[in-house]
Amino acid sequence: MIPSRQFPLALSAAGAIALGLATPLQAAEHEPAWAQGRSAEMADSPLAPHATPLTVTEKEDIPLDQLRMPDGFSAEIWAHGMPGARMMARGDDGTLFVGTRSIGRVYAVRDNGDEREHVIIAEGLTQPNGVAFKDGSLYVAAINRIFRYDDIESQLADGDDVAEPEELTEAFGLPDDEHHGWKFLAFGPDGRLYIPVGAPCNGCEVDEDTHATIHSFEPDGSDMRVEARGVRNSVGFDFHPETGELWFTDNGQDWLGEHGPQDELNRLSESGEHFGFPYCHAHGVIDPELGSEGACDGVTMPAALMGGHTAALGMRFYTGDMFPEEYRNAIFIARRGSWNRTLSDGYDVQVAHLSEDGERAAISPFMVGLLDPRENAFSGRPVDVLQMPDGSLLVSDEQNGAIYRISYETPEYME
Amino acid sequence: MRRDGRTLPWQRLPIVSTGLAGLLLALPVWSESGPAAGLPLEAQVQVCAACHGEDGNSTRENTPSLAGQPALAITNQMIYFRERLRRSDEMTPQARGLSDAEIQALAAYYAEQPVATPEGERDEALAEKGRALSRQQRCASCHGSDYQGREQMPRLAGQREDYLAYAMKAYRERTRGGPDTTMIDIMRGVDNEAIEAMAHFFANLDRE
Repeated sequence: MIPSRQFPLALSAAGAIALGLATPLQAAEHEPAWAQGRSAEMADSPLAPHATPLTVTEKEDIPLDQLRMPDGFSAEIWAHGMPGARMMARGDDGTLFVGTRSIGRVYAVRDNGDEREHVIIAEGLTQPNGVAFKDGSLYVAAINRIFRYDDIESQLADGDDVAEPEELTEAFGLPDDEHHGWKFLAFGPDGRLYIPVGAPCNGCEVDEDTHATIHSFEPDGSDMRVEARGVRNSVGFDFHPETGELWFTDNGQDWLGEHGPQDELNRLSESGEHFGFPYCHAHGVIDPELGSEGACDGVTMPAALMGGHTAALGMRFYTGDMFPEEYRNAIFIARRGSWNRTLSDGYDVQVAHLSEDGERAAISPFMVGLLDPRENAFSGRPVDVLQMPDGSLLVSDEQNGAIYRISYETPEYME
Repeated sequence: MRRDGRTLPWQRLPIVSTGLAGLLLALPVWSESGPAAGLPLEAQVQVCAACHGEDGNSTRENTPSLAGQPALAITNQMIYFRERLRRSDEMTPQARGLSDAEIQALAAYYAEQPVATPEGERDEALAEKGRALSRQQRCASCHGSDYQGREQMPRLAGQREDYLAYAMKAYRERTRGGPDTTMIDIMRGVDNEAIEAMAHFFANLDRE
């Protein structure tokens, strides 16, 4: 998908004319998706997305020992050997379903007490990132297709092959742009399926009814509503356990600067609200190209800023009993980590505590250690979090194909 | 359905159905396991050599050399073939059934092999044109300043000229699939003359 944004072509066209070519090569026109919006002066920048390993990371190579959390919390490797593990959804019978991007698989992890084993229930899909579970059925969203696997947990329990899924692609009728086209899925307290559609570009004008949105549907794909607009690329959301409000992360634009515009944690208080893209970013930063004075008027500001280019993705409210009281109704947010800045940031799990009025939040580190700031190097990339029935927290690490389980015991010095 | 990301269902078939070996051979799923799967590395290299050359320097038209390629570049493409994410009538059947570890060992082997001197003569004018075009296309920003590749990005220096042109045209025509669409964006609308100049430049780089 080519953004409507125009790139400066003068330089490359002049170069091509000098070479006397019939068809001039216009380098800026040919840039890969991730380089869209890169200025001419940054053309030789070494910044580029980090490739995700497609192969199994052996258990002894998973950086468990590097993880640091507040006192009382500890982490273990709960499941591993699943390259590209990203978004998680838990079935009613306890199966954990895990989506991926480039490796094209969906995994199902079955917990047999002390041990977990996983199977690949789908493969060869185009970035099947989104997974959600409702009424015995698993929903999977790839870039260009949506599937429903009915009764899947009993098939897995019986050791049967998973039956062919129902394809719901046409019923949902979503765009299939590759750029920011990987989907997140979650059911709301209203029983509807919420699906974001990212902007098909780094920064560009979009049709506000089809892109840079969060939609909701009946589970069969009918009755589409646009819940939120001006959302550049959300890859994680959850619903407030008391108010039912939709809270979501949103990834800020690339190539506008080392430090920002920052990623966002947003709160939807009213269906249809506009969150600013492509004119107004983060806490009210007017886009240098598409924005103009007043571009932030009427735009809902973030509930919290998540750092520049940190890739705040999966997030869930914590409602469990295992963690201390201060975590109740707080939000755990996985930050996959940056590529579009020279000094790396993210690669952690943050916790967001809500203000008394429930409108704002403040973030603080919760699980760190995967980023080595001295070396500016990383060893893991958290993408999603999921609360287990016992109140422990699962964290998926896409880089290592692993899922950590974080549990809590009151430290000895407090007893 | 796979148990641990390494064992493929057709690898388990003979174990559960030993009495039906004759029948199994007739099943299409059986033929899906590639000829190199499960063999020792030396024997696997012989399988690959049929097309990619004894030492990983290909002598077959439109077939890439693997010698000197970054290990991750080979690994990722082999996984894409195996997972049917990059469709290839030739390579997918070869890659099916290879474990991650087998693929990584093969990739490490080929990454260590020296790149052979290319066949044919270097055309200075064509190479210079290719040099200017590749600078303009910013090929080095991914493939490295000396075009030797890095991480998942393949080496271009010393690759077969016909293969380079073939691959670039396939990206342009969108007949070369795969999860990474970067090259499709880059090659959009680039004409044959430019592709042939760049291919000649890259293929003959190591003579400089």
